[in-house]
Amino acid sequence: MAKILVIVPFALDADGVARRQSQLKAVKLDPSSEFHFRPVKAGPTSFMSPHDWTLMDLAIFEAGAEAQAEGYDAVCIDTMSDSGMAALRSVLDIPVVSPGRASMLFALTLGSKFSVLAQWPPAIVRYKKAIAEYGLVQHCASVRSFDIPPDFDALLDGKQESAFPKMLEVCLRCVEEDGADVICLGSTTMHQAAAWLAERLPVPLINPGPLTYKLVEALLALKLTHSRACYPKPQVPKLPMLHAMLDAAAALSPAMRPSVVAVNKPPPEK
Amino acid sequence: MARVLVVVPFPMSEDNRRAREAQLGGVQLGPGIEFHFRPVRAAPANYTSEHDSVLADVSILDACKRAQDEGYDAVCIDTMSDSGLAAARSVLDIPVIGPGRASMLAALMLGERFSILIMWERWRHLYRKTLAELDLGRRCASIRSIGVQPDNQSLLAGKEEDVFPRLLDAARTCIERDGAEVILLGSTTMHQAHGYLAARLPVPVINPGPLTYKLAEAALALGLKHSRKAFPKPLAPRLDVIDAFFDGLKS
Repeated sequence: MAKILVIVPFALDADGVARRQSQLKAVKLDPSSEFHFRPVKAGPTSFMSPHDWTLMDLAIFEAGAEAQAEGYDAVCIDTMSDSGMAALRSVLDIPVVSPGRASMLFALTLGSKFSVLAQWPPAIVRYKKAIAEYGLVQHCASVRSFDIPPDFDALLDGKQESAFPKMLEVCLRCVEEDGADVICLGSTTMHQAAAWLAERLPVPLINPGPLTYKLVEALLALKLTHSRACYPKPQVPKLPMLHAMLDAAAALSPAMRPSVVAVNKPPPEK
Repeated sequence: MARVLVVVPFPMSEDNRRAREAQLGGVQLGPGIEFHFRPVRAAPANYTSEHDSVLADVSILDACKRAQDEGYDAVCIDTMSDSGLAAARSVLDIPVIGPGRASMLAALMLGERFSILIMWERWRHLYRKTLAELDLGRRCASIRSIGVQPDNQSLLAGKEEDVFPRLLDAARTCIERDGAEVILLGSTTMHQAHGYLAARLPVPVINPGPLTYKLAEAALALGLKHSRKAFPKPLAPRLDVIDAFFDGLKS
């Protein structure tokens, strides 16, 4: 039995977490894996500025920092921004998998160039920065947005008819005009559109959240984890300070206090 | 039940084929998946020149070209050279996974720079080619050889005491002098050394064959396969020509 903690990057209520958890249905998982979804205690409200990125790094770091001590075997981070990943890897010995870098690298196992589908124009700068940081600029055909503001709680609920065709049109431009061999959904919040788009596209479409669940299973089965040479431990860990900071922030907005850890076992095999 | 064909790049005896199959013991596999190891019908003696690479490509393509019609759900290629990978992808609609490209990309999910540990210098050209194709040469800290001629039939059997410590020394040099954060075994034929090295090194060591088995599982679970745009189908497939190449040979 592998217990995997999935960190939800916004302080969502139970319904919001359930919409994230439904990503588990998009993939066939090992019956012995168990995924627990946990929202952060507090964090940014939008995700378009370095202010937001810094807060999200801290919030995700705090939510997962004790995962190993809590008995988890691995951590997934439910955001393409990879926020908090490097910090969590520096304090955890268990695998920490985040979909941004992983889905771009995975895309390169399927084709030579990928495009990233962004939600709206303000999101584009973050992808460009990440792609440069990961050294994948020459592998990226384009980053294009479908220009609908994101809703990190409701996701695409109720927007199927307006959003899905626009998403498809932009993906097709990535393929036809930019030369993408593979499309990466730019956010785990787009997962509700993944199957619809994949059916209609001539190239593979990567649904980032479910990819991380399978990569975690692979790393656990291969007994692999991140390199300590790349993510050195802190000389002086200050995790109590980190927790105090997030507890204080959570107290500012009691309505947003997180629900208990939600548990979702993958459905039994048919 | 998902069935995965693993193409073994040299013709070999049943005992030697089983030494390849033993890679399955290196990883925990999910229920509902089985792996069949099939040696090619003919092959170059080893992979040390462009002469060999061309023969390897066509022999591996031959061994898996009808995998889909035979009822397989995916193909893994048991060589870090990724020989035959692109050609097999061009004719198959099921996932085809080669460990060379996949292990370099997987290494970058665990660290920023990797080194490749190889048996002898004559293999170096294989990784240079893949690194150039992936355009990831600057992520490779080094390729280090221990200068021992490999045996693609008996693998490392009987050579453990001599070879394992030399691999360990070379891997430590990769980490300490070259800055490697992840070590790749340069060949699936080195799999018997994986446990020994992983237990003694301070960074992750990727065992390329078992990695491909898990990636095949992941590809099937996610409904993903290679992009047809990157690997276009032939306008006029001539699988009959490939059959003719090999049908006449007495192996």
